[in-house]
Amino acid sequence: MAREKVVEHYDVIIIGGGPAGLSAAIYSGRARLKTILLEKALVGGLATYTNEIANYPGFPDAPKGEAITNLMKEQAKNMGVDFKLTAVTSVDLHGEEKVVETFRNKFIGKVVIIATGGRPRTTGAEREEEFLFDKGISFCATCDAAGNTDKHVVVIGSGDAAIEEGMFLTKFARQVTVSVMHEEGKMDCNEIAKEAALANPKMKFVWNSVVKRFEGNDHLERVVLKNVKTDEEIPVDCDNCFEFIGYLPNTELFEGQLPLTRHKYITVNEKKETGIEGVFAIGDCTDKWLKQIATAVGDGAIAGTAAERYIAEKEIFDHKIMQSEKPGLIYVYNAIDAESRNFLANIEAIEKQHAGKIVVNRIDTYKSNGLALKLELEKVPAMVVTKDGKITEKIYELNESLIANQF
Amino acid sequence: MKEVMLDCYGEACPVPLVKSQNKIKELEVGDVLIVQIDHSCAMKNVPEWARKEGYNVEVEEVDDGEWEVIIEKTK
Repeated sequence: MAREKVVEHYDVIIIGGGPAGLSAAIYSGRARLKTILLEKALVGGLATYTNEIANYPGFPDAPKGEAITNLMKEQAKNMGVDFKLTAVTSVDLHGEEKVVETFRNKFIGKVVIIATGGRPRTTGAEREEEFLFDKGISFCATCDAAGNTDKHVVVIGSGDAAIEEGMFLTKFARQVTVSVMHEEGKMDCNEIAKEAALANPKMKFVWNSVVKRFEGNDHLERVVLKNVKTDEEIPVDCDNCFEFIGYLPNTELFEGQLPLTRHKYITVNEKKETGIEGVFAIGDCTDKWLKQIATAVGDGAIAGTAAERYIAEKEIFDHKIMQSEKPGLIYVYNAIDAESRNFLANIEAIEKQHAGKIVVNRIDTYKSNGLALKLELEKVPAMVVTKDGKITEKIYELNESLIANQF
Repeated sequence: MKEVMLDCYGEACPVPLVKSQNKIKELEVGDVLIVQIDHSCAMKNVPEWARKEGYNVEVEEVDDGEWEVIIEKTK
């Protein structure tokens, strides 16, 4: 029989420890929310795969990705965030209590922030599976470059990652052969990287090519490319191969629970809210235009703050606004609207008239719209009458006697 | 059910992965292998490999930049 899982309660559960998740953790921890961050492998995410980060503001010396993310981690720890290095096996996001399960634990949270990022896409070429990890196909130049001293490596792809990491590899390797899908001279990377790569004597290019097959015995020995125009096979003998052909979002866990795009990215709004209340998604797993550390930490700041707001509002809504001890009157108004502001005096009169017998709450939508949305009003101003913590009436007319007669 | 420690301190990729793969072959189903590493590169491939094999995996950060990858051989 399986061992009982240990149950732990948190305000905020963050899934994924890349820059987005770390940033959300810092904001959530700083808001004094009890926060846990779950990471399946190394804290830092895909940023740790990059050898030089030249465009993250505040770090002019282009440090390794890991150097930056380690500082983020330290900062989150200082804010009291708990870290657990394990994979999430299942989630149940519906309902007020969100459940996130790992191999040995069951975490229950008020809020879940999804920051699961992406993983490198593979070519899908023949026999690729046989050579993954340490058998010759790698996705991380930073990790494996030193092992390629004086060797011949093949790089697949022509985006920023492919070309920049490819150039980094030339510091070690004897030769770097780059397979580019496009016509001669055309690459997906930025112009600066392109010029530098074309001028690099250790870099060779095979244009109009994709991978057809990987060959070798115990270890990769040959990458067989295919010319996309002529179908001609081009065998390239090499020691190792690096694939940099984009990323796939890690969203399998959420399929069927959250709205995803056709390419399986999570759809979010400006506040990083998903289709489910209390569930936010940030970083590379979401449908966004630019995937950078700088945008990921921005996402994290939004979600961390939105999570705090959500929990605070929910607390007020459940315990104060929807109190069940006495009949309640909730006045929802917009403080910048003169008419509804003036009616506050009438509300006060009603409160006096029924002093001690009813509970009156006032919600100013100008400050925050969240509570009003929860009441599902057609328009504002509005009066909501409650009994035993349940809504019995919604009144949209500013009429004192009509409202007073409800009690 | 026994627990086996595998000391890979000071070893860079792909040594910890290769050592782990060899060691787990010697273990019985239900045994636990604890791989001690201090090169972050091994944190990328050792847990991923073990999960792909279908084993249960958890990682403890025992110190700054030192980890124990706990692998339960489930089959």
